[in-house]
Amino acid sequence: MAALDPQAKRRTFERLANVREIVFGIQDGVLTTAGVLAGLSGAVAQRSQVILAALASTAAGALSMGAGAYLGTRAETRILRSEMRRVREESQGQPYVVQESLLAALAKEGLSREAGYRIVQLLSAAPQALYNTAEEKIYGLAGATFGNPLSDGLLMGVAFLLGALVPLLPFMLVASLRLGLIAGLATTAIVLFAVGYAFEGRLSDQRYPAVAGLRFLAIAMGAAAIGYVIGLLIAPLGAVPAG
Amino acid sequence: MLKPGDAAPAFDLPCAFDDKLSHLSLSGIRSEMVVLFFYPRDFSFICPTEVIGFHKARAAFNAEHTSIVGVSVDDAESHRRWARELGSLGFPLLADAGGNLARKYGVFDDAEGTALRATFILDARRVVLYAVASPVNVGRSVSETLRVVRALRSGKLCPADWVPGADASPADPD
Repeated sequence: MAALDPQAKRRTFERLANVREIVFGIQDGVLTTAGVLAGLSGAVAQRSQVILAALASTAAGALSMGAGAYLGTRAETRILRSEMRRVREESQGQPYVVQESLLAALAKEGLSREAGYRIVQLLSAAPQALYNTAEEKIYGLAGATFGNPLSDGLLMGVAFLLGALVPLLPFMLVASLRLGLIAGLATTAIVLFAVGYAFEGRLSDQRYPAVAGLRFLAIAMGAAAIGYVIGLLIAPLGAVPAG
Repeated sequence: MLKPGDAAPAFDLPCAFDDKLSHLSLSGIRSEMVVLFFYPRDFSFICPTEVIGFHKARAAFNAEHTSIVGVSVDDAESHRRWARELGSLGFPLLADAGGNLARKYGVFDDAEGTALRATFILDARRVVLYAVASPVNVGRSVSETLRVVRALRSGKLCPADWVPGADASPADPD
């Protein structure tokens, strides 16, 4: 019989925890850049201006998203660690309260009071096990809750950059502004569908992964379409007055 | 919550005592005084410190002609198993399933569905002489309960922190 490898499973869960950064980064990179291309293509006539603006937006976006993810995870981790330290200090001063709270949490999950009592009593023989279990069951705090600021920041920034290249590269390679935009939006649609299909559909064992892909695509392309319309609406504001 | 001077509501409830299941009524208790203590639940981590504390002090309470009775909303079988877990108890545990008795004494916590941590000392006429309740997460003092029983039985006016052997004060108008 194949034995469960808890360490391998734990590593898998830790890797999966980074899916958020990857999906968020790619989606935001694709969407922001496609929005910039669509919006500026409606407002600006020169292709080179659109490309320069999109490149600037990509660089700023990748750095901003990477720094934001780094700072966000860092702040979250520090606050959580500080809160866990405070909770543990309080718990060590009131072991009965921890035991009672853990007992109540186990009873809430369906264990009889007597069975819960015996489990808590056994855990109490190893205070570290008692406090770790109590933190997880009572407060929902666990070691896996903590992200890594550096890897979160890098993943987010790189994912944004890769996502941004999806509409930008075809736009740059095709000489015509209109055809370039169509090519960029087409690759955007394919990649957005693929991201939704893979991450939301296949990895989460959805019955119809294509539906997840289409939903992802619809949300992202909807935003791009709105960006294009806004570009058209604000175009008159940039017109040089005659005379 | 009942206060000193109130008549203690009678009861006749299932109980566990000496590893047996039976019934106990207030009128069936023959001792001069009764310490009736409510606690939240069997199989908990604060309650046993009190229950064991009363068990260890039972001889001192007996010497004061005072019976000890514990009450919670658990059933008698749960009481019996819990008493076994604690290594047998020298006083009965009443099964107040539904908390009706706790309600009559005014110590039922509706939010928790259990009794508060409350202690009543009853005299020979089963009138409340002393009543105290503490938060669920703070265990009561058995030695303080014993001190109050002794003070009440002394029949004297006892100042703060009075202990047996200390002179009781004469009546002080202030």
